[in-house]
Amino acid sequence: MLTLFRNLFSPPRHMILLLLAAWIGLTLAEKRTERYGVSKDDLNNLTYYGLLAFVIGGRLSFVLQNMPAFLKSPLGILSVNPDIFDPLGGMAVAVITAVVYGQRRGLKLWNSLDALTPFFAILSIGIGLSHLAAGTAFGLETDAAWGINLWNATRHPTQIYETAASLLIFGLVWLQKQNPLSGIHFLTYAALTAAAQLFIQAFHGDSALIFDGLRQGQVMAWISLAIIFVLLEYRLKENHEG
Amino acid sequence: MYTRKAMSKIQRISLYLLILIAGAAWIAASADTSNATAATAAPQVGFAAPDFTLKTPDGEEYTLSELKGSAVLVNLWATWCPPCRAEMPAIEKMYQEYKDQGLVVLAVDMTYQDNPADVAPFIQEYGLTFPILLDETGAVGGMYQLRSLPSSYFIDRFGIIQEVVIGGPMSEALLRTRIEQILE
Repeated sequence: MLTLFRNLFSPPRHMILLLLAAWIGLTLAEKRTERYGVSKDDLNNLTYYGLLAFVIGGRLSFVLQNMPAFLKSPLGILSVNPDIFDPLGGMAVAVITAVVYGQRRGLKLWNSLDALTPFFAILSIGIGLSHLAAGTAFGLETDAAWGINLWNATRHPTQIYETAASLLIFGLVWLQKQNPLSGIHFLTYAALTAAAQLFIQAFHGDSALIFDGLRQGQVMAWISLAIIFVLLEYRLKENHEG
Repeated sequence: MYTRKAMSKIQRISLYLLILIAGAAWIAASADTSNATAATAAPQVGFAAPDFTLKTPDGEEYTLSELKGSAVLVNLWATWCPPCRAEMPAIEKMYQEYKDQGLVVLAVDMTYQDNPADVAPFIQEYGLTFPILLDETGAVGGMYQLRSLPSSYFIDRFGIIQEVVIGGPMSEALLRTRIEQILE
């Protein structure tokens, strides 16, 4: 089953899973967007411009970081190869674009994030599945009965942990009663996701290590969680004062 | 009737602190000081490149593990594969540019799913000067868990895979960024 799945969606076809997740996520987000005071058109445009900015920004960021190589062969910028891409740079450009669009349309930040939460939650599932298909974000070697054979060893199925956690988080935020306080829906999703990453990253076999052995992914998740808690308090205070 | 009461601010902050302390303890408990992947051979970033010995059409033998100290690009290809053909001129150009800095290119033809008679004319047609190796049994295709052609593995001077590019064609610029990374 796992082999069939990995053969079917082996790179570069694993990106189909991300596209599929984005489409399902947007469809679900659209169903509830008006609850949060964001119109379907605004939600679609916000996502469309954000995704477009992600793709273009990711390519440009990679090019800027490797400028000497692209100055020698500038046509490489237009190459169809998806490896010419910097996901973090793409994400930064997507966020900036979404903020600019939101400001021009007079959208409220926290309401927009609440409306986009199902999109983010489904996208997280897609990311887990694409990791599974590509064999990336793989786990440590294990003797556990549920280990999977990957990269010549039996390993923790961290991609399955990640997908299962994302599914659970999606279920929780989807079934959550509508919270009248704006931002709480999104921050709940963000806190659960950061906590899941903090836990699951411990089983990763591909972690970048910092400070003599600490896993960078866990440290980032911990810092994110602390910031989310501060934001949660800030939102509760703002909403009560409002 | 039972009604759920919202948590007070003090209760919430205590909960946040508890979660953060437990999180910090979990990070410390799961710290990793080993470099387990580098000792294992697998066709993935961070692992030692699976070793192989293959011959060129002229019978010259190459063993990957004997090339430690050089940066190696292993490119798996076949003559019938259009993106493989499309990226060969760029690979040749990069080989000429970087071979004096220690770059070795091993282009492994998947002979077991190719027509062996097409290989020599292919080398002639593209004027390839780097070693073309023949995988007649599929052993290397199997070791590298080949799923798509072309597949390229950028291996550093210590024999560790630093980048994998599945599919193609790779542009000169992409090749240059990856090659400079493994030559560092």
